[in-house]
Amino acid sequence: MRERRILAVAAAVLGLGAAAADLRPSADVRHLATEIEAEADHISALDLGARIRSGEPDLRVLDLRSEAEFTSFHIPGARNVSLTKLAAERLPRQGTTVLYSEGGTHAAQAWVLLRVQGYGNVFVLREGIYEWISRVFQPRLAVDASAAERTEFARAAELSRFFGGTPLAGVPRSEVPQGYWTGATPASAPLIEKIHRRGC
Amino acid sequence: MTVEWAASVLGLAFGFCLERGGLAFAPKLAAQFYLTDLTVFKVMFSALLTAMLGAFWLDKLGLMDLSQVAMPETFVLPQLVGGALFGAGFLIAGLCPGTSCVAAASGRLDGVAAIAGILAGVAAFNSAYGWIAPFYASTARGAIGFPELLGMSHGLGVALVTAMALGGFWAAERIERSRA
Repeated sequence: MRERRILAVAAAVLGLGAAAADLRPSADVRHLATEIEAEADHISALDLGARIRSGEPDLRVLDLRSEAEFTSFHIPGARNVSLTKLAAERLPRQGTTVLYSEGGTHAAQAWVLLRVQGYGNVFVLREGIYEWISRVFQPRLAVDASAAERTEFARAAELSRFFGGTPLAGVPRSEVPQGYWTGATPASAPLIEKIHRRGC
Repeated sequence: MTVEWAASVLGLAFGFCLERGGLAFAPKLAAQFYLTDLTVFKVMFSALLTAMLGAFWLDKLGLMDLSQVAMPETFVLPQLVGGALFGAGFLIAGLCPGTSCVAAASGRLDGVAAIAGILAGVAAFNSAYGWIAPFYASTARGAIGFPELLGMSHGLGVALVTAMALGGFWAAERIERSRA
């Protein structure tokens, strides 16, 4: 009888301790805000492409778009998952998780969801699938490109061919806005329209 | 190969403990349904409690990665029907799959009959799988547990199940004493 009481007390202490240990959210909200402000949560399409190409172990790429959108086109190696399913899923703690959606909203929301749950090394593809299409799948080089732009294009074109993409050289400058290669300029809506018309 | 060896050792130890605990004896198991002997309930709940608290704290202390532990998915309706079928089989045989193996290993013929029943059930299920499949995959909720379902922290879920278990042990002892 005495042993049973000791075991019961031990279980109660460990059980109450479990509730106390999880009282604080696993991520500090102010710390998350700093990370978001510093844009430490972003990854560029070119960096992601290079990491997928290198066969980085434990790199998870999650596509948050609809199943139909995923089926029609997705980043190689990505897995389709909805926000609700992601919220209920247990991801491995180690490795890197990259999230993308159509633009970036759902991916950013999923980023917060995962970070609040205590997952580290989570990144968002800033402009979503559009960034992948415009920077990796169909990188463009303006007809009047500078030497620096040509160097960047050569790197992207090589990556593009690896993923079965089609680099486009000699396009009008209007399709390659300033900052295109630095990622400072987002893939504009007209640009995306053109991409869609090309059959992506 | 290590996994197979570990599984064999754990399986043998589990079987030995069940046998020594008297759980290979159908009347003892059936007594649970008549509320005269709640050993099975206490054994199962204490195993669950030990595993849950152990896994939670090993994960918290960084000695184990709980996210690497496979969690079966929930399919509400098929699992309710499966649970009812399992319960009916348990009540009829007086044995569950684990205890029927132990009973058969210790030479009890009812254990052998229960295993034959299990194998027949497995064969029937697999033969009818094409027909059952739509229902089998219905009402899927993914790999969720109490905390995700009730929107609480994992730790609070652990505390609640601990409270349920301790309350259950206390109630089980009282019921047994009142029936003795």
